[in-house]
Amino acid sequence: MRFADSSMDKHPLLTIRQLDASYGPVQVLFDIDMEVYRGEIVSIIGPNGAGKSTVIKAILNIATPCAGNITFNNREITKLPTHGVAALGIGYVPQGRIVFSNMSVEENLEMGAFLMKEHLARKVAVDKVFDQFPRLRERRRQLAGRLSGGEQQMLAIGRALMLDPTLVILDEPSLGLSPKYVDIIFEHLIALRDDGRTLLMVEQNAARALSTSDRGYALELGKNRYTGTGKELLANPAVRQMYLGGGNTLSTAPESFHENASPTACNAPTSLSPTSLSFHRTMGHTT
Amino acid sequence: MESLDILFIVQLLIAGLLAGALYALLACGLNLVFGVMRIINVAHAELMLIGAYFAYVLYTFFGLHPLISLVIVVPVLFGLGQLMQRLFIERVVGQHELSSLILTYGLSIVLMNLGLAVFSADFKSIPVLQGSIVLGEMITIPITRSTAALVAIVITLMVYLFLKKTRLGKAIRATSEHPKVAEICGIDVVRVRMLTFGLATAMAGAAGVMLSTIYSFSPETGADFILKCFAIIIIGGMGSFSGAFAGGILLGVAEALVAGFFTTQWSEMVAYALLVLVLLIRPTGLRGIAYAR
Repeated sequence: MRFADSSMDKHPLLTIRQLDASYGPVQVLFDIDMEVYRGEIVSIIGPNGAGKSTVIKAILNIATPCAGNITFNNREITKLPTHGVAALGIGYVPQGRIVFSNMSVEENLEMGAFLMKEHLARKVAVDKVFDQFPRLRERRRQLAGRLSGGEQQMLAIGRALMLDPTLVILDEPSLGLSPKYVDIIFEHLIALRDDGRTLLMVEQNAARALSTSDRGYALELGKNRYTGTGKELLANPAVRQMYLGGGNTLSTAPESFHENASPTACNAPTSLSPTSLSFHRTMGHTT
Repeated sequence: MESLDILFIVQLLIAGLLAGALYALLACGLNLVFGVMRIINVAHAELMLIGAYFAYVLYTFFGLHPLISLVIVVPVLFGLGQLMQRLFIERVVGQHELSSLILTYGLSIVLMNLGLAVFSADFKSIPVLQGSIVLGEMITIPITRSTAALVAIVITLMVYLFLKKTRLGKAIRATSEHPKVAEICGIDVVRVRMLTFGLATAMAGAAGVMLSTIYSFSPETGADFILKCFAIIIIGGMGSFSGAFAGGILLGVAEALVAGFFTTQWSEMVAYALLVLVLLIRPTGLRGIAYAR
């Protein structure tokens, strides 16, 4: 259920204004503008190196923007330290489904609720996430490192939900997952939106992302290029050509969560990258 | 003859366990810091000596028994450790390894020379109750050594349970795995690092207090201990708390066995022989974390 008044609320939940960001001497974002309204799913699409992940990292202050500002719920958060963002109601699912692999499933979720000081309140929150992901309840005592890729992604999403956030930010939620789990994850995302949450995601699987999203932003080389509803973007021939057909746009800068990841061409065969290894691993688990 | 040999071995094992417990306490703190910050604290043994001299001062001027001093030394060093993290170590977190090595090496030199200036190079010791419990006819358990070992094991166990069971302890483990993701969970990693270094310093201080009851020490004693500690955390596995514990006990026992069957000179070599052996057979150490990104 989307909130009836969400369409009336013309005040965006998240606003990004004239954002510039750089890695060392290389500027990767130029004058980015974005809004996210309550109750919608918004996707940021673009080839590798377009700066998609950097936008997200700037919101979380993992990457420090050099200009521009970001407001959430009418509050300026541009300079807020990363650990302060969670308290405002922003959940984050990092790229590559990073979980604390030497900790149990349950402990991972508890970490998501670190800011709750009451032991009991944390337990209640853990139970709520288990209701949403029964699979995780079955494996609550297992080490997170032993889960399959899809289960780890569920855990990463569950962890981001622990503080009952208004906005959930996802960095490449389908990356490296088997097709079966991609379906499951996207179903969960829609369920989250129907629950009244707002979602902002970065996805390489642009077709999939746009067909799930209410609106989308297409970036190119760190600049806003196209924006519109998911349907409009999907129908736009230029977008299809650039983002869905597979042009040969080369990346300009690394934007992975892992500092040592190397930039790759946008449609370089994924069989060469480490993600494909986990992809096959995931396949092994699900078949 | 046969039973005599077995008794001899049991005696050596006990001596080894008692010495190993102290190594373990020291190495667990060192590995805790490494796990969370990827920093090897070269000054760790000097922190231990701060504990030892603290107990020495409390004994000399106030007549406090080292076991009572523990109650004062541990909290003070916990605070001191947090302060050191805040003032010095925090600046090199995430920097090139060389920066942290130089910084902590510098700290160790400063602390050692401060010790020399204040306490001179003479060996000090605290003459507390000596004596042994005799089991059967052959096995003797020295009281001070077993007290020291017991205290070391209890403290190590308490820190272990803290890491395993409490919210803050889990936050330390989470930060050691993925500092960025921990931060996104709302964990203030700067404070976690202060807490970690405080804990490690308190552990080193406790080890120092217990050391003061069984060894004589000088400001230069740290050098032997830190090298052995390096060997222990590599043997046990870098960053692993339980590995450092196992490695410490293992080294204590191995040293005792070698000293018993060969000579004490040879036992000084054991740490490095074990180190080479472990690196050949199992390069990640007994419980090493494979640092897959």
